[in-house]
Amino acid sequence: MKYTSWRFLAAMVAVLTLSGLASARQAEAREPSAEALLNAKCSACHPRTRSGGLFRVDEQRKSPEGWAMTVRRMREWHGLIVSEAEEQVLVKHLADRQGLAPSESAPFRYGLERRTLVESPDDPELAVLCARCHSYARVGLQRRTAPEWRRLAHMHLGQWPTAEYQAMSRDRRWWEIISGELPDKLAAKWGFDSTAWTEWKTHRGPDLSGSWAVSGHRPGKGDFHGRMEVRRAAADSYRMTYSLTWADGSATAGEGRSVVYTGYEWRGATRLGDERISEVFQASADGRRLEGRWYLDDQDAVGADMVAVRGKGAIAGLSPAAVKAGGSARIVVSGKDLGKTAIAGDGLKVDKVISATADSLTLQVSADPSAAAGPREIVIGKAKARLMVYDRIASVKVEPDTMVARLGGNGGPVPPAHAQFDAVAYTAGGLRIGPVPAEWSVANFDEIAEHDQDARFGGVLRPDGRFVPADAGPNPARRGNNNIANLLVKATVTDGGATIGGTAHLFVAPQRWNDAEIR
Amino acid sequence: MTSKSFVAALLALAAFAFQPATASGKEYILTSTKPNTLVLVDPAARKVARTYKIAGPGAPLGIAPSPDGRIAYVVTNHWGSVVGIDLDSGNEVFRADLSDGAIRARNMFGLEVSPDGKELFVMRSPVRLGQGEYEVQDVGIAVYRTDAGLKARPDRILPVPRRTTGLFMAPAGDKLYAVSWDIHTLDPKDGKVLKVDKVANWDRPNYGTPDVFGVWNQYEQAKMFVNPYFVARTDVAPTDPSAAKTGLLTLDFATGKVTMADFEDSAAIMFSSVVNPVRRNEVFSVYNTLTKTDIGTNRLVKRVTLPHTYYCLNISGDGKEVYVAGTVSDIGIYSTETLERIGEIRLPDDHDMGGTWIRMVQR
Repeated sequence: MKYTSWRFLAAMVAVLTLSGLASARQAEAREPSAEALLNAKCSACHPRTRSGGLFRVDEQRKSPEGWAMTVRRMREWHGLIVSEAEEQVLVKHLADRQGLAPSESAPFRYGLERRTLVESPDDPELAVLCARCHSYARVGLQRRTAPEWRRLAHMHLGQWPTAEYQAMSRDRRWWEIISGELPDKLAAKWGFDSTAWTEWKTHRGPDLSGSWAVSGHRPGKGDFHGRMEVRRAAADSYRMTYSLTWADGSATAGEGRSVVYTGYEWRGATRLGDERISEVFQASADGRRLEGRWYLDDQDAVGADMVAVRGKGAIAGLSPAAVKAGGSARIVVSGKDLGKTAIAGDGLKVDKVISATADSLTLQVSADPSAAAGPREIVIGKAKARLMVYDRIASVKVEPDTMVARLGGNGGPVPPAHAQFDAVAYTAGGLRIGPVPAEWSVANFDEIAEHDQDARFGGVLRPDGRFVPADAGPNPARRGNNNIANLLVKATVTDGGATIGGTAHLFVAPQRWNDAEIR
Repeated sequence: MTSKSFVAALLALAAFAFQPATASGKEYILTSTKPNTLVLVDPAARKVARTYKIAGPGAPLGIAPSPDGRIAYVVTNHWGSVVGIDLDSGNEVFRADLSDGAIRARNMFGLEVSPDGKELFVMRSPVRLGQGEYEVQDVGIAVYRTDAGLKARPDRILPVPRRTTGLFMAPAGDKLYAVSWDIHTLDPKDGKVLKVDKVANWDRPNYGTPDVFGVWNQYEQAKMFVNPYFVARTDVAPTDPSAAKTGLLTLDFATGKVTMADFEDSAAIMFSSVVNPVRRNEVFSVYNTLTKTDIGTNRLVKRVTLPHTYYCLNISGDGKEVYVAGTVSDIGIYSTETLERIGEIRLPDDHDMGGTWIRMVQR
């Protein structure tokens, strides 16, 4: 069995930039070619409707990942034969024509960015009817007409006939509900037509080429800042180079490609140092800011939050973004062509401008011993950024507070899925100070885990907070059981002689046998 | 005719002539492993007697032996077909593909042979694959004549409620029990509902809806369906240990009598159960533990931890041994007296059982 993790981005971006979008001239021919593909590849099963559209296709909108998932299903389930290049042209065309407005994707970007979190569905009925099997985000990232939501219900039971027998399904009239009243409810909540989309679809995506200042944080490694040079390769298609500096002073260079869908959905495939990463960013409407997450292609729990800005005087971020009362910190302000004078807030003093480049301003900032804990502003020209003043680290939260790692490897087709933790400091008043270095350890979560010695078998937590799960499959040392574990991850932070601890809950689960573009 | 199949034929004749069929012949276990392999086990010898490679893709799920012990009806082809394997020749002597034209149908639960061996009852979940869309169809029981050969088509379809799992015949062949939210007693000829015993729809003050989910058919020895149920009490706080109760539901195939009784505050997950055909008050239930319950007094008798999870189980005709199965690649043998592990049968090449069934057959 071939294992595919369904990070469609890396492959897609490569294909798109190499083929149909390789030159501006070809790009201009893209629309008719996509329409021709819809005609040739889709219309046999999706007949033309009275209005000339394609049955089903024209009654839904979704993210690029959502359309990629649809095309893949057509290929795997219904015998669609398309080349990779054709598939990606279809996805691009559909995501542009029937995508989501930024405000529509906003609540569920974690699903696109492949973050693991415990969701908080705003509808408890949908949480059970839909999100007992897959994420709530997968539903919330779609817009359909009521008949189309109903056809989706039929697909579900038709494709997975056990669905009506499962727990949290057989205790209610699941099929009768999801094929009966639910489609109308979903169409009212996430209907095909929306003002947001009507407005957004006329938006012309800005040309994102130019020089960008970058700021970010990678749990397990630290903050980084630097520059991203973006060159337009074709319409909505770019080449990038990165030069990044990490908080420890080391430097990383990178090179990548990106495609922008729906006018704002930036998807990049980049080689950064010796790692391959996928970028899921959203561009602001004015094209001056990119924000989102990138993750390692082979371990999507490991990645970074990143902001990039362009245009004179814009700030991407501060590193670090906190200073201790009575202390002094060297703070890198990432931004494009920032002025060389900075004003700090109440109780703060900019002692010195250490250096100034086109992408950053490095300041020495000291805080008065009596400065009250709380946020301040650093003002550089017209731009402002928040800097936290704190007196002491009162508590530490481990992020993410609940996480799943997965066993893998050991000759099986699915590689292990790591988990990456970060220790984040807070003041006594609950103000976030930011990520801090920590000592990491792992313990059994409860009595059952203690009995089964989960901490011994589940895997290893590295000094950088990255959990590497154990091998998949039966373990003779565990009487033939596998290495699943229920663990307590502990971070210990020292601050001025005090020791502060934080914990997270880590499930070490079996392999994910069926992955998807949106889980 | 080989001497072995000749003996089998004689036995089959004998079985036909002298009811009950189980009176003669040796007892075997029928189960399966991936990939698509039916396994005949000799429990007395503690070894695999024979394996049968089933043609085509998938792995066996439901297994129903014919009453004469000659044919095993097996769900295969990714739940899309039922094949009849002659246990002597190994040949496929019956095949019913559940899908038909634009209708794609699957069987996950519910497989039963009539006591005279002439009909096969197959629960069927169909969907119509229309142009560009799916249309879920009503579920039903497809009834096949077992002599219909390799291109069997249903003789008739009996309507049943959605979520039907277990299908069981009365020994006289005049009643078909269909377990869903409630137990429907049907006329196997036309599906007419003769009786409905309330289960999920029970009227029991201060109790919620019991969850009964019977996946396997493993009730040929005692001819009694027994399945754990789990239910929440509504008259105590959810944190109260007695707020979650475990009980056992029984259905006697001969009389049609249904009982439901709690026996403990929920303390263990149990996937499936079996009744001892000799001491009919003894019930054994399996998952991570093996549990012995007295349904005469509704008391937990004993519970032991198993070396790994098992899903299903069956019991010897003499009531002395239970056989736990359905996961990994072994059948664990336990004493019904002590719940001690008294034996084990490793299946060929350590192939996974994949949630299959375990049946007892006399041949």
